[in-house]
Amino acid sequence: MLNYSLKRLASAIPTLLILITVAFFLIRIAPGGPFDSEKALPPEIEANLEAKYQLDDPLIIQYFRYLGDIAQFDFGPSFHYRDWTVNQLIAQGAPVSFTLGGIALVLAFVFGVGIGIWAALKQNSPSDYLTMSVAMIGISIPNFVAAPILILVFAITLGWLPAGGWDGSIQRMILPAVALSLPMIAYVARITRGSMIEVLHSSFIRTARAKGMPEHEVLLRHALKPALLPVISYLGPAAAAILTGSVVIERIFTIPGIGSHFVQGALNRDYTLVMGVVIFYGVLIILLNYLVDLLYAWLDPRIRYEG
Amino acid sequence: MNPAAATNPTQASRRAGCVASLLAVALLIWASVAGAAGEIHRGLGPSPDTLDIHRAQGLSAFNLLRDLHEGLLTRDAAGRPVPGVARAWEVSDDGRTWTFELDPDARWSDGSPITTADFERGFARAVDPSTASPTAGWLDPVEAVTAVADNRLQIRLERAVPWFEELLTLPVTFPWPGAGRELFSGAFVLDERVPGARFALRRNLNFREAGTVAADAVVWHVTEDPSAELGRFRAGELHITEAVPPGRLDWLKRELGDSLRISPYFGSFYLVYNLRRAPLADSPALREALSLAIDREIIVDRVLGTGELPAWRLVPPGLEGWPDQPPPEARMSRSERIGRARQLLSEAGYSERPLTVELRFNSSLAHRRLAAAVAAMWKQHLGISTRLVNEEWKVFVTNRRHGRITEIVRGGWIADWADPGNFLGNFHSESPLNYAFLRDERLDELLDRAEQAHGEVRTRILWQAEQALLDRNAIIPLYYYVSRHLVRPEISGYEDNPMDIHLSRWLRLEPGQR
Repeated sequence: MLNYSLKRLASAIPTLLILITVAFFLIRIAPGGPFDSEKALPPEIEANLEAKYQLDDPLIIQYFRYLGDIAQFDFGPSFHYRDWTVNQLIAQGAPVSFTLGGIALVLAFVFGVGIGIWAALKQNSPSDYLTMSVAMIGISIPNFVAAPILILVFAITLGWLPAGGWDGSIQRMILPAVALSLPMIAYVARITRGSMIEVLHSSFIRTARAKGMPEHEVLLRHALKPALLPVISYLGPAAAAILTGSVVIERIFTIPGIGSHFVQGALNRDYTLVMGVVIFYGVLIILLNYLVDLLYAWLDPRIRYEG
Repeated sequence: MNPAAATNPTQASRRAGCVASLLAVALLIWASVAGAAGEIHRGLGPSPDTLDIHRAQGLSAFNLLRDLHEGLLTRDAAGRPVPGVARAWEVSDDGRTWTFELDPDARWSDGSPITTADFERGFARAVDPSTASPTAGWLDPVEAVTAVADNRLQIRLERAVPWFEELLTLPVTFPWPGAGRELFSGAFVLDERVPGARFALRRNLNFREAGTVAADAVVWHVTEDPSAELGRFRAGELHITEAVPPGRLDWLKRELGDSLRISPYFGSFYLVYNLRRAPLADSPALREALSLAIDREIIVDRVLGTGELPAWRLVPPGLEGWPDQPPPEARMSRSERIGRARQLLSEAGYSERPLTVELRFNSSLAHRRLAAAVAAMWKQHLGISTRLVNEEWKVFVTNRRHGRITEIVRGGWIADWADPGNFLGNFHSESPLNYAFLRDERLDELLDRAEQAHGEVRTRILWQAEQALLDRNAIIPLYYYVSRHLVRPEISGYEDNPMDIHLSRWLRLEPGQR
């Protein structure tokens, strides 16, 4: 097991290096630079700025220097937010994004699993079809459509909740978290329903029922755990969906998380900020996939021996 | 808990607990939505790059800095320059020596007095190349800044500058307390900053006119997207918006008519020809024809529809002393203009030959609509096809500046100070903002002469300069901007003005309102 986990961890390093390299050169290829604006700067000022941010060296030298810096966890100063370093911006944005993403994930699993089980128990009844059709719609509606509708209904028409902004209070988290979790609730519900139906038809459930076990115990003790396995394996992709989804949601709700830094950073050609966020996202996704893999290996010995 | 242990009394208390916590949540929600009394919430637009007075640029940074700091002069509610840290000043007859008397009540937010040294230090840092100030160029006419007495500051200019009072309201001229000292000279101090979210300001108790400031606190919310900003305004979270989304004016007038504020703005929108690219560069007649074929009335009424004024000249109306004389094109009827355009087109030799021109603009809904309308008019009236190229902002400004691939680009200018020279100077052959790459000796000579002139003489020279620019057909003026905001009726002290400057110190949230 230890051997397997170390091997998996070692393979993460080249992945990360490729990610950093591709991202570094991609953002530099984009036309326009961090200091371009409508009112062009005098040449001497521009030269000064480029020297200050070490943009005057050949690109390859900048690349290796950057690798050296991030090896020491120094992501450099932000090119656009001049009063801040990238480390500060990420440290300030990450808790916001994590809170939002965490709530969305909990909502997705609680509601998704609940709805899925309910639909499985009512298999092929009208309510099953109805729930699953709604879930299908939920998966198909992108959250940049769902979010403004939620704002229109709950913030503007009903006036129950704020339309945007972030101050760490619960009521400002509700709408963005719901918008972020909606497609996932639908997805989790469908997975849960499918696997629950499969499990309910297996022989050990039939045995349990034959023994005369009460139905709720059959469900909770025997059926739920195996039925949840595919849902757990969805954790990795779900986290990735939250990260990419938050880029859109944070912008719509003006939430100062990592996602909005990513979009704004790219538009501003804030090289260091974009790189910092890419690396942060990259490490996060690699780490989550790694954890899910470990969980798999722990659940299924075949994987760890073959690996 | 073992469910069997649950009895009626505990169930009841649990229910009571539920109700209590629900109530608490409701109260929490109500309290936070309602906000504190005397707290004004304003939309800021994009997150500013920095709050360093010398390095900041862009409207959002300036709006914040004007609340936090004050120069020798400041702006009143109507946007006019009025005494700030300087309570009085004298100007020498040649207009080159300005002597300011500092207000003894002017203090930093820690209570220490604002001195002449703070200004000397500020000006020195602004022009120091290592500061890399993007706005230091504004100080080019300044020769020397010296303290002549304890509270008297003298500024010597290389030449008389008619907009000097306005220049002194800009952040690059503000006093500077020195490195590492975060002090404020304005009506508010910075309480909290969350990049990408908000800047919370609280009343500066040491401000020289603290007694006249009505608001206890001002929160500037970053609002990158006008539609999202509108949503927050409608949900009651903003008192004043920075922008209004385009193309929804009728709906806004109907729904939010009492809040909608549209007012003339010293800004001009035009298209620019790249005079280095054939065939447009070689044919003034073709350029004039393209300009005449665009119906400005349709543009402002049907395409924009937010009260903009049709433009045939560069400099917007309303600047002091600027003649209000519409050019001949403005007096022609639509059919006369189109007839003249077709005649010019055939003189240029393009009436039979097919021609495709390129119109390049930065991505925005408003620009796309406008470009499509212009292309349709060129096609309908002149038979000229247009290739519309839509680029993201950084790509667009880079291409426009280099001028290697552009033909016709979107241009536009918003006044740094209320002066015609501020618009016309962009077409001097040495200006870095000359996207037309115009080299016109007469225009250069007139602009240089205007720098040495004053008053009516200067205005007359600049008027001739504008005519010289228009005679070259280097640009197609399309319309003059308006400022657009939503302001809740409970806000008083907000005066529409053509510089669109609204310091929070003049605003008041009427009591009993939130």
